[in-house]
Amino acid sequence: MQYALLIYENEDLYRTDAGRSMDEIITAHRALAGELAQQGILLGGQGLKTADTATTVRKSDGQHALHDGPYAEAREQLGGFYLIEVSDLDAALAIAKRIPLAGDGAVEVRPMIEEG
Amino acid sequence: MITLDQTAREAGGRIVAALATAFRDLDLAEEAYAEACARAAAVWPAAPPLDPAAWLYATARRCVLDMIRKRKVRSRLTPDTPEPQASAEEIMASDARLIPDERLRLIFVCCHPAVAPEARAALTLRLVCGLTVQEIARAFLVAEPAMFQRLTRAKKKIAQAGVSFEVPGPQAWPERLAAVFSTLEVAYARAHEDAAGAGQHAGYAREMLGLTAVLAELLPDEPECLAFAATVRFAEARRPARLDAHGAMIPLSEQDPALWNRSLIHEADALLRRAARLNRPGPRQLRAALHGVWCVRRSLAEPPPWSAVLALYDLAERDDPFVRINRAVALAQVAGPAVALVEIEALDADRLADFQPFHAVRADLLARLGRRDEALAVYQRAIDLAPGPAERLWLVRRRNEVT
Repeated sequence: MQYALLIYENEDLYRTDAGRSMDEIITAHRALAGELAQQGILLGGQGLKTADTATTVRKSDGQHALHDGPYAEAREQLGGFYLIEVSDLDAALAIAKRIPLAGDGAVEVRPMIEEG
Repeated sequence: MITLDQTAREAGGRIVAALATAFRDLDLAEEAYAEACARAAAVWPAAPPLDPAAWLYATARRCVLDMIRKRKVRSRLTPDTPEPQASAEEIMASDARLIPDERLRLIFVCCHPAVAPEARAALTLRLVCGLTVQEIARAFLVAEPAMFQRLTRAKKKIAQAGVSFEVPGPQAWPERLAAVFSTLEVAYARAHEDAAGAGQHAGYAREMLGLTAVLAELLPDEPECLAFAATVRFAEARRPARLDAHGAMIPLSEQDPALWNRSLIHEADALLRRAARLNRPGPRQLRAALHGVWCVRRSLAEPPPWSAVLALYDLAERDDPFVRINRAVALAQVAGPAVALVEIEALDADRLADFQPFHAVRADLLARLGRRDEALAVYQRAIDLAPGPAERLWLVRRRNEVT
């Protein structure tokens, strides 16, 4: 099964010193990604710039409208994702629990539509 | 002759579990089993099988294979060569003992933490206990279409999210077992709170005896599992004594122990002893022990074990309001109603505003302290919240006794 692990965090934790430092988190991500790649689990993934850099294109009644900002205004924003291939949901959940977070946050585990 | 109903009750869960785990598809297992039952209903009256469970299993397996083939035809339009049909001899020679027991695996699937909590028990009762959607909907006081949708959504989640059909590894055991037990406890509490046992909730109280027996058999080294099985037995043992001739509830301390089912109590005692021998105490063992001290009582002539009950409640989780309410009942008997009322008044009344036992106990204590008007008002609140006619009758009688 292939899963996307979508990381939602309060970005303020990275702007202030409230949480773990940005460098520390990036190092932890690299270590985890390296380990997953070595095990042949990692399909891909990336960190995202903060949500205030986002532009949303919305289609409504056939018209496109742009707005400055992320799809949903929420306290926690999508900050990055891992794409993995593992045997089942339990394995995916176990990896989700290991994803480094600056403080409180959430990781949504979403099965991917697979070809074939 | 063994009827289809009886076979379904005894072997249905096992057959569905074997199919579901072999093919990793809950819908397929459910549909194939239903189809096998329909065929049995048509065929058995004229040609009763030697081994009804094995017949159902073999037929359901063939239905699964047929269904898989049809799906393939629909999706690819190029059928595989058909599976050879099982011959009559093959079915005759098959044996119910050969149906693998995969019920534990299926219970873990149904009670997976990724499944919505309100769907877990329903799904377990549907697939492992074979209750109909209608029965489950009635038991949970949900409209049938809503329950059907809840079950469908849960099955879809399990299929699409890749919930494992394996029994989890030991490191995941505590979390996964907790999900299983809390699911089953909620289900049993609902079934048990209906004293009459004839009402909407009671549909699966009996099934819980079977389900907990399966769990205790499959997890012989989990003391909390044994304790839960013991609790269900202690509680079910008292069912024959829970109502009087008028259909009113009889509280535990006034029940005639001679009416209690002794063989269930012996089973429960044995389970609880086995749990104790594993030397890993836990909240479920304590709860079972609380039932156990009551079931020691042999007749109404023996004094109720209030001191033992109070001592056990002193060991229990103090921030659980239900524990504190029950403890206050024992405390009232040991130390008097005034002390107990102080305990009750210390609880968060807003949070418990709709909790019938809170009002029933408070009303009783107020009445015993001679605070008549308050007692009458609180009894009325408890009566309005009573879960069934048996509780209502009992509360009305208690209210009418207030002088």
